Amino acid sequence: MAWQPLSFNIASIFIPFFDKKSALKILIIEDEKALSDSITAYLKGEEYICETAADFKTALHKTELYDYDCIVLDITLPGGSGLDILKELKANNKMDGVLIISAKNSIEDKVAGLKIGADDYLPKPFHLSELSARIAAIIRRRNFSGSSIIKFNEIVLDTQSKITTVNGQGLELTKKEYELLLYFISNKRKVISKNAIAEHLWGDETDGNIDFIYTHIKNLRKKLHDAGKADYIRSVYGMGYKFAES
Amino acid sequence: MKLLSKYYRVNIVATIIVVLLSSTCYYFMIHYILIEQLDNALKVEEQEVTDFAKKNNNLPAPSSYKDQEVNFKPTFDKKPVRKFSTIDLYNREEKEHIPTRQLVFPLNVNGKSYDVFVQKSQEETEDLIQLILLITLVVVFLLLLAVFLINRFVLRRLWKPFNSTLSQLKDFNLSGKNKLKLQHSRIDEFNELNKAAIIMTEHVSQEYDTLRNFTENASHEMQTPLAIINSKLDLLIQGDNITEQQMDQLQGIYNALERLSRMNQSLLLLTKIENNQFNDMENILLNTVIMDKLFQFDELILNRKLVVHTDIQPVNISCNKQLLDILLSNLLNNAIRYNIECGDISIELKHNDLTISNTSALPALDNQKVFQRFYRHADNKQEGNGLGLSIVKQICNDFGYPIRYFFRDNRHEFLIEFQAAL
Repeated sequence: MAWQPLSFNIASIFIPFFDKKSALKILIIEDEKALSDSITAYLKGEEYICETAADFKTALHKTELYDYDCIVLDITLPGGSGLDILKELKANNKMDGVLIISAKNSIEDKVAGLKIGADDYLPKPFHLSELSARIAAIIRRRNFSGSSIIKFNEIVLDTQSKITTVNGQGLELTKKEYELLLYFISNKRKVISKNAIAEHLWGDETDGNIDFIYTHIKNLRKKLHDAGKADYIRSVYGMGYKFAES
Repeated sequence: MKLLSKYYRVNIVATIIVVLLSSTCYYFMIHYILIEQLDNALKVEEQEVTDFAKKNNNLPAPSSYKDQEVNFKPTFDKKPVRKFSTIDLYNREEKEHIPTRQLVFPLNVNGKSYDVFVQKSQEETEDLIQLILLITLVVVFLLLLAVFLINRFVLRRLWKPFNSTLSQLKDFNLSGKNKLKLQHSRIDEFNELNKAAIIMTEHVSQEYDTLRNFTENASHEMQTPLAIINSKLDLLIQGDNITEQQMDQLQGIYNALERLSRMNQSLLLLTKIENNQFNDMENILLNTVIMDKLFQFDELILNRKLVVHTDIQPVNISCNKQLLDILLSNLLNNAIRYNIECGDISIELKHNDLTISNTSALPALDNQKVFQRFYRHADNKQEGNGLGLSIVKQICNDFGYPIRYFFRDNRHEFLIEFQAAL
């Protein structure tokens, strides 16, 4: 990655702006209005500003004019292929992060997309919480300040070293508990269904069996409580969980 | 019976009959003609003897000249008869009977009646007949041999395009990409056949492609509405005023939606395997992949308190990594899901044979239907989409690994015969 040495200088200039927590800009390129509406509605609660583009021309126009922190890109669009938009972005040396969402869950598409320079690939159908976590991860990786630190009150996660601290004290978490916590914080103050959590932690392997996420949540809850006296994980009528201040 | 052998058989029988009949006719005809010639010679002698008697009023001396003899015998009160006949005469010199043609005719000399015997040896004639017959038979035999050889090689070559078409039709595989490559032949009938075969297979392939594309497109088209439902549900549960009862119903929708998504993905996967979209093969250490898989499923196994027995030896195979992963996941998932609490799973990998067996509350599965799409045992209360084993079967078919199902000692057992990498 040739831009890395340069990024240090740029980062030092821009850090003050980032520190102000300026809202992150997301462009959702998706022709199904119902879906792009859902994504917008879900992400709006986070620190994001969402724009949408429903066809190839609008999408190309917007990506040429503006810079986005992350672009959610559907491959099949009226008027062209999302992959061509991606190629155009790379040709113009744009730094926008790109998350491909595609109805064609095919290895070829995935490989092609990642080869051209997409950051991630999420096949449809997906949970909004998963999408949100992936977007957050992309922005984290693309962040000029190089920050890999995520904070939620006294809880601090370093996504690079995978070390968790609560009030500055190290917290021992298993791999699954760490992933769970990261997922929760990426979707803070949102209700996440058990299905979404199971799919995030185990992928296809759960095959419909979502009951045993309970053990992991119980353990994580206990560890967080023991370390910080705060209980952030709340069960929502047995169908999901919410990570929020009480 | 082959068309060729049937043809040969008819051909040879007919030829033999014709040759037998014709050579018999031939024999009798030549015989008749030669006897006729002998008789003519005898008649000439008769004329000569009669002329001599008239002229000299005396009998000529009995003569024996070359193969021809003339004798006289006086006759008494017998009615004279002129007659040709074939007799066997004893030859003292050669001490054998020699077939002889003889003409007996009456002759009156000086008021005395005589029977004149003119005899001519038939031996030469017989020899001639035999020689002619022999030459004829040899020629006929050579002719037959030539026809036979020509038939054998020419006909075999003539039928070659037909046999090639036939073997290609036998190997024709709908899911395969190979099209018929039929040779052009100089024979119109074979070209007709080839044309018909090509039209038919193209038609069938088209229909099959349409069907396959339909399944793939239908599955793809379904992904977007599924994504919309999923996203709307994710938004819906964010609401503050949802009652517990409504949450219950939402959970039901989530679960059903997940099943639908999985089923859709499985159908897509099946069409993709059918379309041979997984072509890249690599050398894989099967034993490590299995151990990794077991590690992945560790939590599920612990959750059901299952005991896993393994006897795994190193096996190196050449396979598509992704499909192998799906194959093992599906088999292990079934072994866990349909197991009993505190049951066990046994995994054996020996000499390229992988056996996965497990205890279960389910009785034996129908061996005929076990790999069929959407087949589920009547007692099956688990939520499966009925596609897992079809996918396993399809993957095995794709790589040519035989897979079998057994039910022994109350255990369900799947045996896959992998092929070692070269």
